[in-house]
Amino acid sequence: MSLAAHEFQFVSGLVRREASIVLEPGKEYLVEARLLPLARKAGLASVTEFLLRAQSPSGRADRDSIVDALTTNETSWFRDREPFTALTDMVIPQLVKARGPARSMRVWSAASSSGQEPYTLAILLKENLPPGWTYEILGTDISTEMLARAERGRYSQLEVNRGLPAPLLVKHFTRVGPEWEVAAPIKKAVSFKRLNLAAPFPPMPTFDVVFLRNVLIYFDVETKRGVLKRIRSLLKPDGWLFLGAAETTMGIDDGFERVVTGRTSAYRPRTGISAPVGVTGKG
Amino acid sequence: MSATMAPTGDDLQQIAEQVWASYLDTDGEKPLVPLPPDKLSRDVVAGVAVSGAWHGLVLVACSSTASKEAAAALLGMGADEVSEGDVDDALGELANVIGGNVKSLLPEPCTLGLPEVHNDADNDPWLTGDEICRFEATWMGEPMEVSVLEKPQGGETE
Amino acid sequence: MVIDDSRAMRLILRRIVSGLNFDVVEAGNGREALDRLAELEVVPELALIDWNMPEMNGLEFVTAVRADKKYRGMTLMMVTTESEHGQIVRALAAGAHEYVIKPFTPDAIVDKLVMLGLIPDGAHA
Repeated sequence: MSLAAHEFQFVSGLVRREASIVLEPGKEYLVEARLLPLARKAGLASVTEFLLRAQSPSGRADRDSIVDALTTNETSWFRDREPFTALTDMVIPQLVKARGPARSMRVWSAASSSGQEPYTLAILLKENLPPGWTYEILGTDISTEMLARAERGRYSQLEVNRGLPAPLLVKHFTRVGPEWEVAAPIKKAVSFKRLNLAAPFPPMPTFDVVFLRNVLIYFDVETKRGVLKRIRSLLKPDGWLFLGAAETTMGIDDGFERVVTGRTSAYRPRTGISAPVGVTGKG
Repeated sequence: MSATMAPTGDDLQQIAEQVWASYLDTDGEKPLVPLPPDKLSRDVVAGVAVSGAWHGLVLVACSSTASKEAAAALLGMGADEVSEGDVDDALGELANVIGGNVKSLLPEPCTLGLPEVHNDADNDPWLTGDEICRFEATWMGEPMEVSVLEKPQGGETE
Repeated sequence: MVIDDSRAMRLILRRIVSGLNFDVVEAGNGREALDRLAELEVVPELALIDWNMPEMNGLEFVTAVRADKKYRGMTLMMVTTESEHGQIVRALAAGAHEYVIKPFTPDAIVDKLVMLGLIPDGAHA
C-alpha cells in the first residue's frame, strides 16, 4: 500500500515546481493519506492508478488537485516581517516624496503564490499612503492553480491566524462561511497574471517596488541573471527590489546596489548604469 | 434554517482538519484521513450544546483507543499515561473548539454550553435531534466522527 | 498568565509559552485571574485569555484590566473560539491587543508574540 520511490519522486517534483514546496523523503505515508481520498473520488482503486492518470498529458486537473491537497499553510502574512517594515518605514515615505505630482504607486509581487504577499502589500499601501493616492499591485506566478486561489482571496482560519495583526484582519477581511475573504477595496487594487519568470516577459509597465522573494533559489545562476536583468528593466530608476531573507543580487547582477535598511536589505538600480525604461517604453 | 446558513459535511471536514493540524497532528505524522471507517464507534462521545438563535449539539465521537490517543496528543503525554479525567478534558476541549467553529456558521447570536463527555453512548437519550451534517474519518486506524444535531426549540429544559 | 476554564487548553498554552521562556501563572476564569494578579509582585508581560468562562468572562476581564493603570504594561491576547467578525471587533474595542482564533498552531502564537515584540525573531515554540 506504500508509495513507491518513483511515485514519491513524481509527486515531490510536481509540488516543488508548482508550489515551491519541498517534500522530504520519509513523508510517503502523509502523501499517501492525502492522495487516497483523491483516488477514491476519481473512482480509482489505488493511489498508483491515480498517479498514472495524473502523469498522462491529459492529467492536468489531476495534477492540480494533487498540488492543492498537499499545499500546507506554509506561508504567512508579513512573511519575515522586516521587508514590510522597510516598506512602511523607508520606501513608502521616500516614494511619496519623490512621486509628488503623480500620487500613484505600482508594486509587483513576482511569486505571488496563494496571494498573501500581494494582499499584504495592498493592505500596507492602503494603511500608509496619504489620502488621494492610488496604488495597484500586480501578483504573478507560474502556477494557474495558485493564481486561481489568490484571485479568490479566501483564506482559512488557520491561515489568517499566521502573522496577520488582528486589527488589520477585522479592517480588511470579511467572513465567508468558515473562511475569511479579502475585502473589496483591497481586492480591487490587486490583479493577477500568469508569468514564467525564466522566460521573456510580455509587455509590462514599470514598477516602484518589486517583491521577488524566495523564488530565485529555484533557478540556476544563468537563469537568475536573466530574471534580475529583466526585472531591473521594469523597475523605476529610484524603485526598490526586495528579495528573500537569504538571497542577494551580489555576484549575480551588479546592476543593483544593496542598501541595508533596518534589519534587512533592499536593492535598487545602481545609478550610472543605463536602465532601459520598461519593455514597451511606458514610464 | 435557510440553506445558506446550514453547515455541511465539507465544513465539518475543514474544521476538523484544522483542529487536527493544530492540536493532534502538528508535525503531519498522524494525519486525519477523510475516509469513512469500516465501522463507527460511540465508545466516547463529547458534545457541546448550542443555544440562542439555533438549538442543537455538536458532537465528536470515536473509539476508546482513539480517545486515549487524542488525549495523549493534546496533552503531550504517552497514551498509556492518560487517565479518564484526561480523556474527558481533552475530548471536551475538542468538542468545544469544533463547536465554536460550527457556531460561527449558524444563525447569530448563539452561545455554547460546557462540554459533556458520555461513554458507550449508543442509545443515549442525550443524542436526540435531527442530524444536519456529518463528517467521518479515520485517525490512527480508528473511527472518528463529527456531527451536528438540531434540536427542536424549547423542547428540553436547560 | 494563562486564563481558560479548560484544563486541557491551559496545558497546551503552558507548553507553548514555557518553551518560549515565560514563567506561567494559570487561572480558570476572569475573577480568579484578577485575584491572582493582585497577589503577584510583578505584573505579567502577557495574558492569554479565553472568552467564555464562568464567573467572569474574558471580555469582562480585559475591560477590568484596561481600566486599571497598574496593569498598563500587560499585553492582552484573546485566545478563543469566538471567531465572528463582530466578536473580534468587540474584543479589540474593549482593549485587547491581539486575537488568536482556536484552533491555533504553536506557530500562530509565536508569530503574534514576535509581532508584539515579546519574543525575538526566530524563536520557536
